[in-house]
Amino acid sequence: MAKTLEHIPLSAPSAGGLRSLLAYSDMLRNFVRKDIQVRYQGAALGFLWSLINPLVMIGLYVFVFSDVFKSTLPNYPLYLMAGLLHWNLFSQITGQSCDTLLANAGLVKKIYFPRLLVPISSVVFNVVLWLLAIALLFILYPFLGGKLHPVLAAYPVVLLFFLAFTFGVTLILSVLNVLFRDLKHLVDVILLFLFWVTPIVYQYHRIPPHLRELFALSPLVDYVLIFRGILYSGQLPDWHILAMAVAWTVASLALGLFIFNRYADSLVERL
Amino acid sequence: MRSLPDEVVQVEHVSKDFILHHNRVDSLKGKVVGLFKDRWRTRHEHFHALSDVSFTVRRGEAIGLMGRNGSGKSTLLQVIAGILKPTSGRVITRGRVAPLIELGVGFHPELTGEENVYLNASLYGFRNKDVRTRFDDIVEFSELAHFIDTPVKNYSSGMYMRLAFAIAVHLEPDVLLADEILAVGDAAFQEKCHDRIASLRRNGMSIVLVSHNEQQVRDFCNSFVRLDGGRVVETGTFRTKTAHAG
Ligand SMILES: Nc1ncnc2c1ncn2[C@@H]1O[C@H](COP(=O)(O)OP(=O)(O)O)[C@@H](O)[C@H]1O
Ligand SMILES: [Mg+2]
Repeated sequence: MAKTLEHIPLSAPSAGGLRSLLAYSDMLRNFVRKDIQVRYQGAALGFLWSLINPLVMIGLYVFVFSDVFKSTLPNYPLYLMAGLLHWNLFSQITGQSCDTLLANAGLVKKIYFPRLLVPISSVVFNVVLWLLAIALLFILYPFLGGKLHPVLAAYPVVLLFFLAFTFGVTLILSVLNVLFRDLKHLVDVILLFLFWVTPIVYQYHRIPPHLRELFALSPLVDYVLIFRGILYSGQLPDWHILAMAVAWTVASLALGLFIFNRYADSLVERL
Repeated sequence: MRSLPDEVVQVEHVSKDFILHHNRVDSLKGKVVGLFKDRWRTRHEHFHALSDVSFTVRRGEAIGLMGRNGSGKSTLLQVIAGILKPTSGRVITRGRVAPLIELGVGFHPELTGEENVYLNASLYGFRNKDVRTRFDDIVEFSELAHFIDTPVKNYSSGMYMRLAFAIAVHLEPDVLLADEILAVGDAAFQEKCHDRIASLRRNGMSIVLVSHNEQQVRDFCNSFVRLDGGRVVETGTFRTKTAHAG
């Protein structure tokens, strides 16, 4: 027996795939605006709160590593920020996106819209909050000892790949979280672990040589090395690190989209 | 008006099974312990919420879905809306389908009435610019002009429903799927809702109306489908009512 369901969304007759997503671009906008508004309502500093957390973190690490551990790395604050800000982006998105489907269960069970919009809006929301922090980095860039290298031009492309990688992870986690509701706690632990096995606050070559190969398997290590290469050293790392990052991104996005498209609809009845 | 084929909703041999998870544990710990301990294991049971349901809704037609609690009415609406996938069979819909399974879905209490109008309408796939052109009508219909810029958490439940309903009837869908939501507000407002729906129907809108209330179904619909235990047990038409025009 046929199993198709020819469903035509409300305002986009005969739309499918990408076109139907585009038809919902205003929903995405309204959704993200709502999340930001609700989050910072009544907060005197409003949006600025999204800066305070990373600034405090950076201040603490700079103090611990420059003054306590006497790190001799030149321009340590820039070194730190280049890695830390991108780590923050990843950990905030994955940490908060786990339960997007559950958090929006009421909607998803009562209105039909492309389900992909739920994780997309969660990612966009976190990226918007993060933009302030990265803008600050670029404003401070010359004062932190950053130079205008041609390789800076690669930054937007790398950022896009990094976001695509993170989005893929988000898709996988948001589906798994419906089946295992305590996944978020596990993700928090894994994030903590990943933070310390990624050379963000310390240098890559401080990792004992026999462990380096192992650490380098982590896509976060690859991306941190690339971001720091661009923003701190002024040169891209080895091609094999770039290749690994691209491979991870393709794998994560492909698996994430596959799992999400395959299971998101049937998960609705389990929400 | 767009030219659509006459059959706007075709439900063809639709069955929907739910897997009932007795003793369900959705935690990692539960799943792991369940491997060893019987008491923690989830038992699965296939539950037939809908079995071989077929019917057709034509343009401008209003069909009443009746049946006791748990007979599968809401599930059927969710399948028609595309929210749930049928286990077998298929549904073909033509035009815009607006499921009103609950009023005010997606309203956020902290946002103002106005912000919620845009948010809610966009969930149904409406562009903000299209909502803007209808905004005054929506506000006027809801009779909430004075409160539209205050957060909806301060609305009474009647006001909340009025706003939600006003949005719904201004989406101008081709098919409205309404799940026991037509008892909104006071008698005067209900009258207004009924008039609005009647005028939308004259323009060719179809309705699938879920209701307990036989009289309401009689007032609104030209035919009905009665479900029991997920099966169609009775279908019929109301001869006195012919709202078909268009
Ligand atoms: N997501 C679900 N998972 C399991 N069972 C469900 C789910 N949704 C509905 N059911 C079951 O399907 C049956 C039909 O429910 P429903 O369609 O809501 O009935 P009605 O709207 O006619 O009262 C009920 O027995 C209900 O418990
Ligand atoms: Mg019901």
